[in-house]
Amino acid sequence: MRIAVVTLFLVGTVACGASLPPPNTEWAEANNDVGKAEAGGAPSVPDAKLHLQLAQEDLQKSKELINQDNRRASSLVAVARAEAQLALSLAKAQQKQAEARSAQEALQKTKGGQ
Amino acid sequence: MRNPSTRIGFLVGTMAAAALVACGGERIPPKQLVDARSEFQQAKTGIAMQLDPTDVHVADLALQQAEQAWGSDPEDPNTLDLAVIAQRKAQIAEAEAAYMKAQQDADQAKQQLEATMSSQLQATRGKLSATQQSLSQTQADLQRKQQEAAEQQKKLADLEAKLKDARDTIAKIAAVKDDDRGMVITLQGEVLFQVGKWELKAGAMAKLDQIAEALRGKEQPMVVLGFTDSTGTRDNNMALSQNRANAVREYLVQRGIPQDLITAQGKGPDSPISDNNSVEGRAANRRVEIVVQPKKS
Repeated sequence: MRIAVVTLFLVGTVACGASLPPPNTEWAEANNDVGKAEAGGAPSVPDAKLHLQLAQEDLQKSKELINQDNRRASSLVAVARAEAQLALSLAKAQQKQAEARSAQEALQKTKGGQ
Repeated sequence: MRNPSTRIGFLVGTMAAAALVACGGERIPPKQLVDARSEFQQAKTGIAMQLDPTDVHVADLALQQAEQAWGSDPEDPNTLDLAVIAQRKAQIAEAEAAYMKAQQDADQAKQQLEATMSSQLQATRGKLSATQQSLSQTQADLQRKQQEAAEQQKKLADLEAKLKDARDTIAKIAAVKDDDRGMVITLQGEVLFQVGKWELKAGAMAKLDQIAEALRGKEQPMVVLGFTDSTGTRDNNMALSQNRANAVREYLVQRGIPQDLITAQGKGPDSPISDNNSVEGRAANRRVEIVVQPKKS
């Protein structure tokens, strides 16, 4: 009886997941976010690089699940997007902080030269 | 932070939750949800709330969604994904706030840098202007001094020319030589005075007229020196030479030589220029010298 219920549950779940449309548009958007993070300098910022790698891994996994488990694939795509967006934000922040430090150093140097 | 251990955490969390549910106890939230809550609290109470409230709100909504999913279906793997997403949203809010803060700092530093440089530029311009003004003044001074020097040079040349003229004129009536005292005009005693006297002869006056004419306007100090030979007593010779020098001086003053520029001094038999043992030598020693000294600068 228990086996039958579990089997029915699993079949239902798979059937329900597979019945969702494949998240192709979302996947493309997430892939686009990964591209933005790469272009935004994430590969050269350690923290950002780690989240970029996680985003790429999730994207890869979700790609494998599309048309098999679209619900799970959609969830992984959403995680990949969040990782990619965080990678970009961290890279931007790091670069801007470096710019601020540089401006402050230039200011001190100029004041020192007075 | 999510890594491969997240997957293990998911399994452990799920098993723990399942065990609790089975035992009827309270469920322990998975690590991802705990981290998401903590990260959100940090964003909500930190600088992110001040600088980027929109992203904090987005993180709040994501956390609510994760909480709701965990409440309704803790065993669903997507529930953990929602927790991870919530944590990432909170981290994004913090990173964006850090970006904004850095932007503010950079802008402020750039503005101060611009103001400082502007101030320094202003100060440098002021110094440059003062230097230029000083340079102009110096150039004007230099030009004026060059002009003055040229005028002085011209005056000197004129004076030298006049002096040469005077010398040439005087050389026709008296012996003229230069020594360390200046220009020395020597007149023989017999030409000027009778023996033992100090009144000027008429012919002497004519010669002194020409000398006065030549020396007038030179503004050079002069000394009239009277000399005798060694005949007679020294006292008489000293007095005679002084009187003769005075007579020549007074005559020259009458003829226009400024009295404050000319002095007289009797030297008696001192400083002979020839042998007193011969007639010619004694005649040479009896003399009057007019020493025209160099003009004092």
